[in-house]
Amino acid sequence: MSPFALFLARRVAFAVLLVLLVSSGSMWLVSLAPGDYATQLRGPGVSSATLERDRERLGLDRSIAEQYGDWLSGLVRLDLGTSLRFARPVRELVGMRACNTAILAATALFIATLIGLPLGVIAGSSSAAGLVSAIRGLSVFGMSLPPLLTSIVFAFFAARTGWFPIGGMTSLRAVDSGALAGLLDIGWHLVLPALALALPIAATLERLLARSMHETLQEPFILAALARGIPRRRVVWRHALRVAIRPVAGIYGVIVGGLLSGSFAVELVTAWPGLGRLMFDALISRDVQLVAGCAAVGSVFLACGNLLSDFALAAADPRLREE
Amino acid sequence: MRRRSEAVIGSKTSHAWRTIGQWINGTRQPMVRMRVCGVLAALAGLTLAAACGDPGRAVLTPSDGEGGALVGTIRGEPRTFNHLLAVENETLLFSRLTQASLVRINRTTDMVEPWLAGSWESEDDGRTHRLALRPDVTFSDGAPFTSADVLFTFEAVYDDAVGSPLADSLRFDGLPIEVTAPDDVTVVVRFPVPYSPGVRVLDSLPMLPKHLLEPALRAGTFRDAWDVTTAPTELAGLGPFALESYVPGQRLVFAKNPRYWRQDAGGVQLPYLDGITLEVVSDQNTEMLRLEAGEVDLISGGVRAEDFGGLARAAHDGKVQIHDLGVDLNADFLFFNLRPEAMADDPRRSWLQHRDWRLAVSHAVDRVSFANTVYLGLAQPIHGPITPGNGTWFTPELPKFEYDVQRADALLAGLGLIDRDGDGLREDATGSPVRFALLTHQGNSSRERATQVLQADLSQLGIGVDLVPTEFGTLIERITSMDFDAAYFGFLATDTDPAGNLDFWLSSGASHFWNPNQATPASDWEARVDALISEQLQVADLDRRVELFNEIQTTVAENQPLVYFAASRLSVATSTRLTNVEPSVLRPHVLWNADMLAVNPPQ
Repeated sequence: MSPFALFLARRVAFAVLLVLLVSSGSMWLVSLAPGDYATQLRGPGVSSATLERDRERLGLDRSIAEQYGDWLSGLVRLDLGTSLRFARPVRELVGMRACNTAILAATALFIATLIGLPLGVIAGSSSAAGLVSAIRGLSVFGMSLPPLLTSIVFAFFAARTGWFPIGGMTSLRAVDSGALAGLLDIGWHLVLPALALALPIAATLERLLARSMHETLQEPFILAALARGIPRRRVVWRHALRVAIRPVAGIYGVIVGGLLSGSFAVELVTAWPGLGRLMFDALISRDVQLVAGCAAVGSVFLACGNLLSDFALAAADPRLREE
Repeated sequence: MRRRSEAVIGSKTSHAWRTIGQWINGTRQPMVRMRVCGVLAALAGLTLAAACGDPGRAVLTPSDGEGGALVGTIRGEPRTFNHLLAVENETLLFSRLTQASLVRINRTTDMVEPWLAGSWESEDDGRTHRLALRPDVTFSDGAPFTSADVLFTFEAVYDDAVGSPLADSLRFDGLPIEVTAPDDVTVVVRFPVPYSPGVRVLDSLPMLPKHLLEPALRAGTFRDAWDVTTAPTELAGLGPFALESYVPGQRLVFAKNPRYWRQDAGGVQLPYLDGITLEVVSDQNTEMLRLEAGEVDLISGGVRAEDFGGLARAAHDGKVQIHDLGVDLNADFLFFNLRPEAMADDPRRSWLQHRDWRLAVSHAVDRVSFANTVYLGLAQPIHGPITPGNGTWFTPELPKFEYDVQRADALLAGLGLIDRDGDGLREDATGSPVRFALLTHQGNSSRERATQVLQADLSQLGIGVDLVPTEFGTLIERITSMDFDAAYFGFLATDTDPAGNLDFWLSSGASHFWNPNQATPASDWEARVDALISEQLQVADLDRRVELFNEIQTTVAENQPLVYFAASRLSVATSTRLTNVEPSVLRPHVLWNADMLAVNPPQ
């Protein structure tokens, strides 16, 4: 096995372990928290006999270890269990929601990359002090904006102007208007939540890349390239960027994880039908297997982000492929 | 001897007329005022119908034409399409739109009116009622509705394997209602004990189609039947609408049920609306913004005090109408853990479970200031569980606990609670500081504000309060397991008639929050309340029941097991294009009469 294949195999094994640990941990934590689905279902005014009957019917009278064992044996067969709240397989419930969250997160990441990287290159390579200061100021402002706050502000903006929908993922009128109209409608609904998520990430990417680019431009190979008469723009965008991008690529995995937690807040405010809202409702109602299922899918995102980050790093740095 | 049910729709309650009065007096926005004549005519018509007595032929008419669709919001998603399995707001609303019960409580008159049962006769024993089903009623899939469906529904709700949360409210002394069907259009219901509200309790039970659900009940899979992934074509109901589509996390779309059994006075088939769409919007701020922007016609709950500013602007722009429903039926309350075993080893028990302690706390809080701070002035001070919003059962004659620091101080001193070391905090006889932990619902802004006010007011008296805002699930668990010193909480009354909330009043009740599920009454006054409740359940005469219930309220107020401070005013907001709105203090506030709602066509 080549060193690179071994490297990938190690990373994939780590990803599987991550998913298992996160979903198991969330299941244990929710099970150990005070209250269970039966108390949620009935509310405070309920007799203990009724509660006991419900617990027996729902299988909540068994020990946590026993419930976990059942769930784990199902997980081996990729069965995430059954939601107590919806009485449906968790896999069915989280599938579509995970897709919706992925659409939101991927769009936000795309926008953040599209904004953050070029600005980072400009800020890190430009000699125009005013421009660099302006970009830095904007980035610091952008980094201080939590997605929750930004999405609330955007919702007000949409309500006042009517330019964008205030929430949701699709319009009722777009339901039967064909695939293209449907896609455009989703895109129209995506703008504000994706921007709310993307702005702080774009700012982070810009700051990281600007610093890295600034340091890279001091490297001897850059000075040599410039001395050979290669145009500065080409040196910056082709030679320096390939080196400066490495630390940025390295934190993409972390960004994807942050993107997911940020998207949970944005989904609640903008009524985006994603995993965040489903998990929030599941947590409130102590729907243990649904929480674990949502956490599992969330950790899959995180693991995928880390893997992508590793691939990107390996692509950008040949030494990693050879080690 | 039998009493025939007559005039089941009474006159309009004060709420509806108060709203009209506000319109006439010009306290409403101009665009709203323009609709006064139409609404007056409509309400006059409704009163006329009351005299005629059959809601099967309603008299409100759409003001500007029929048809159209309404868009509303819901905070969460229904857990199931089967109301027998869940009672949370979304499933309840789904049921109100797609299903129907034998009788209905008219939310504006608070009277029971014939619904699927066109009439009924009641025996003098206070237990037996013979209901005549309307003929020629069919489910939305075309199958006829008969007494067999009624029997099936009762069988399902009482089935232990189903574990319906509705079953407890349909059991009396732990026993089910006995239901028989002499023929296809007659049902006899017999309560195990005399029950004065009679068939009123049947409002909460939707009739289910036996032809669709019986196989699941027999196979023991009823709990899986009609889950949220069930195709709309596999559902059928007797309500005004039928589910057309459900997009998880996004919306439920309902279409008019063409086989709905009601017509208006002019013979027009109800419902007026062609459809209803309910958008899922979890966040209350977003919900409000969508209403203000005209994206939706109504929101799921009442208007919060902090939302009135934005809504007033939208009302001024003619986008929104605000309906003031008066004082809410439900009010939050402070209660202490009065279960002796729960505090058996706690040295504070001698004073924390003492009546004088509760009276002192009640006197220590300025209720007017409380209403102004917690509800931004949109509330009324109260002294007992029944608020002025409950016209029939409220009494202003309860003992009052006015703000009186001297009296509170004297009561605390009488318990030996005085500031012994001059640090501003009282100590009991053992020298332990007088302080307790107060649980409340984290994230509920009014409850959090209320506990802060209580903490401030009680600290003036030298009482330490440790606030413990608690996540809802944990809060429920701690209250249910009696693991608390005190809690500030509330619950939703399911009916205006106190007999609908027996669990709250009876010492054996599970909702007797301060000391639930007592085997025998823990105190003389609770035994007295139990006896009075039992007596009023056997009395048919409403005036006598009210008299008895006033005595119950007085007894409870004298002992302050629950300390009430203020009841908020309840308002709901709808778009101005929505007509025939008759909002109710009971949920669902607007969609309870969805079949009568109409929308104005775009101008």
